[in-house]
Amino acid sequence: MAEPLLRAVDLTRHFRLGGLLSKHTLHAVDDLDLTINEREIVALVGESGSGKSTVARLLARIYNPTSGEIYYRGRPLHSLRSRKDQLWYRGEVAIVLQDPFSAFHPVFRIAHGVMRNLALHRPDLSPAERRREAERVCEAVGLTPRMLDRYPYEMSGGERQRIGFAQALAVQPKLILADEPVSMLDVSIRVGVLNMMAGLRDREGVSLLYITHDLASARYVADRIVVMYAGQLVEEGPTETVLANPKHPYTQLLLSAAADPSEKDAEIAADSGEPPKVIDPSEGCRFRWRCPYAIEKCELLTPRPTPIGPTQVACHVAVAAAERAANPDADPAANPASNPASNPASISK
Amino acid sequence: MADPLLEVDDLVVEYATDAGEVRAVNGVNFTLGAGEFLGIVGESGCGKTTLLFAVAQLLSPPGEVVGGKVVFRGQDMVRLDSGELQSMRWRDYSLVMQSAMNALNPMKSIGAQFTDTLQAHEKVSKDDIRKRSIEVMELVGIDPAHLQSYPHQLSGGMRQRAMIAMALLFTPQLVIMDEPTSALDVVAQQSLMTKIKDLQRSLGFAVIFVTHDMSVVSRYSDRVLVMYAGQVAEAARTDAVFERPLHPYTRGLMNAFPSVRGPRRELAGIPGSPPDLARPPSGCRFHPRCPAVMPVCLEREPELYPVDGGEVRCLLYTEHAEGAV
Repeated sequence: MAEPLLRAVDLTRHFRLGGLLSKHTLHAVDDLDLTINEREIVALVGESGSGKSTVARLLARIYNPTSGEIYYRGRPLHSLRSRKDQLWYRGEVAIVLQDPFSAFHPVFRIAHGVMRNLALHRPDLSPAERRREAERVCEAVGLTPRMLDRYPYEMSGGERQRIGFAQALAVQPKLILADEPVSMLDVSIRVGVLNMMAGLRDREGVSLLYITHDLASARYVADRIVVMYAGQLVEEGPTETVLANPKHPYTQLLLSAAADPSEKDAEIAADSGEPPKVIDPSEGCRFRWRCPYAIEKCELLTPRPTPIGPTQVACHVAVAAAERAANPDADPAANPASNPASNPASISK
Repeated sequence: MADPLLEVDDLVVEYATDAGEVRAVNGVNFTLGAGEFLGIVGESGCGKTTLLFAVAQLLSPPGEVVGGKVVFRGQDMVRLDSGELQSMRWRDYSLVMQSAMNALNPMKSIGAQFTDTLQAHEKVSKDDIRKRSIEVMELVGIDPAHLQSYPHQLSGGMRQRAMIAMALLFTPQLVIMDEPTSALDVVAQQSLMTKIKDLQRSLGFAVIFVTHDMSVVSRYSDRVLVMYAGQVAEAARTDAVFERPLHPYTRGLMNAFPSVRGPRRELAGIPGSPPDLARPPSGCRFHPRCPAVMPVCLEREPELYPVDGGEVRCLLYTEHAEGAV
């Protein structure tokens, strides 16, 4: 297989908590494998505290990984040390931040950030070309070039978020890391930004990592979905496959929580739990406290992502069910009937 | 029908700004029966929070109610003085704010804040305070041990629940909620909404619930009020709105969020952004963004017309529509 645009292998980031002598570490991201191909929108889905923003910051080199490696076009990121290399990477991979209200310097006009990116990353442009290019990226995100002369406070949230994308686009990136770009926006404006993201992929050939907690919007734009829970990957695969038949109980929970106006009486999960803070974790599945299907094995062994069809699932119960479904004859009475959780029907429900 | 619990009559709220008077709420009417769940939906800047503040009489200058009435249990709240209002707040009606982190006092434990609220209204013994605090914490599904916790020690979902617990200390007849779930994740949002609905059913208070997310109100509210640019654009029963939205703006809102199920289709959203209320557009305030705009919309300001048991502010439902489509 050809080398993907970006590939993270065993990506891990821990934070030490408390003072210098503290021995506690927070496991923000643990052993995450992630690939992003060219012209692909990958949605990274999870609740707050699941580590998804840390992933974006690792990929943007705001943090360095504790262990593991990120390869961009086959080049390991840790080898990019010179200023030239770093500038190159920042020109290839841009980040758009969550909060459009605090992401801009309030005393500069909007043009400032866009023009500065152009000056840094594309020094070959003359000032006049720079201005033209700034106008072009403005139009690419659906704004009029006049916006460049405005101040941030003169713009609405949706406009600012688009400027965030325009700033990112100015450097002609191959990959945009968008950290909850629509969660601060009104519902009516969200669709505009989502459509713009799809347009960037289709017209400019840009890949996106779309970080969100909203499965519905992930489904709307993304080609592939990666679901994270407590710093680990729990399920990954093509959007429609994952959402049509979620295998991991956490994905099922997220899906049932996504309110849908067209289904008034959809069943509602009674779950009220929250993702745990992963401080000094021991072995075992991190979802087991909230999981309706948890078995003994879940406490003893951390599940690793295992392929089931086109998806990867990190769940003992789902993997066992899939294996039994694949060869029903080979099933010894290993799972007694007393364990209803291992019934494949109850999982795929 | 018995007298409604709350009656808002032609309410007008203005903010004095350098650019002149801005009418954030412009002639809003609605009634709320006891135990009813009313959803108010609109984009940011449509005046929904101002409306809530006017109902709760929490407006501070430059905002001011310049016309209309807010009749709560037969009393016009606009005319009450601050002492009378103080005795009603929390006891007769309470308010749950959008961001519990900012609404709770960071320097005091949850329990201490409950105590303040209870003592503000009546002489109560320590035992009673304790008992009541534990009761409401259990109602909203938080371990009463958290009465000793400070707001920063709770997660976002728990803080919102604690706010709701506080709002229920006196079992008020009306609880006003300003986007209580919008800062939360989907799962937490879902469980909080289910909790609110359960409590509302069992305790029988009325709810005014403000949100910008149509999908949140769809499951829980009895009636929906859609606001646009300070006015009511559409008011009807929730199921009617979802089955057949009348106002083009309501249709736009409904068409603005993707679905996790069903066919994947392209959504259009609503182009443009809400108008500057200091200079509202001529005629219908929605006409610059309206997909069904007619020439008459630029000149004639629509009123609320009764259609199919609901009300809608759109000229499509008048004689002007004929021949113009």
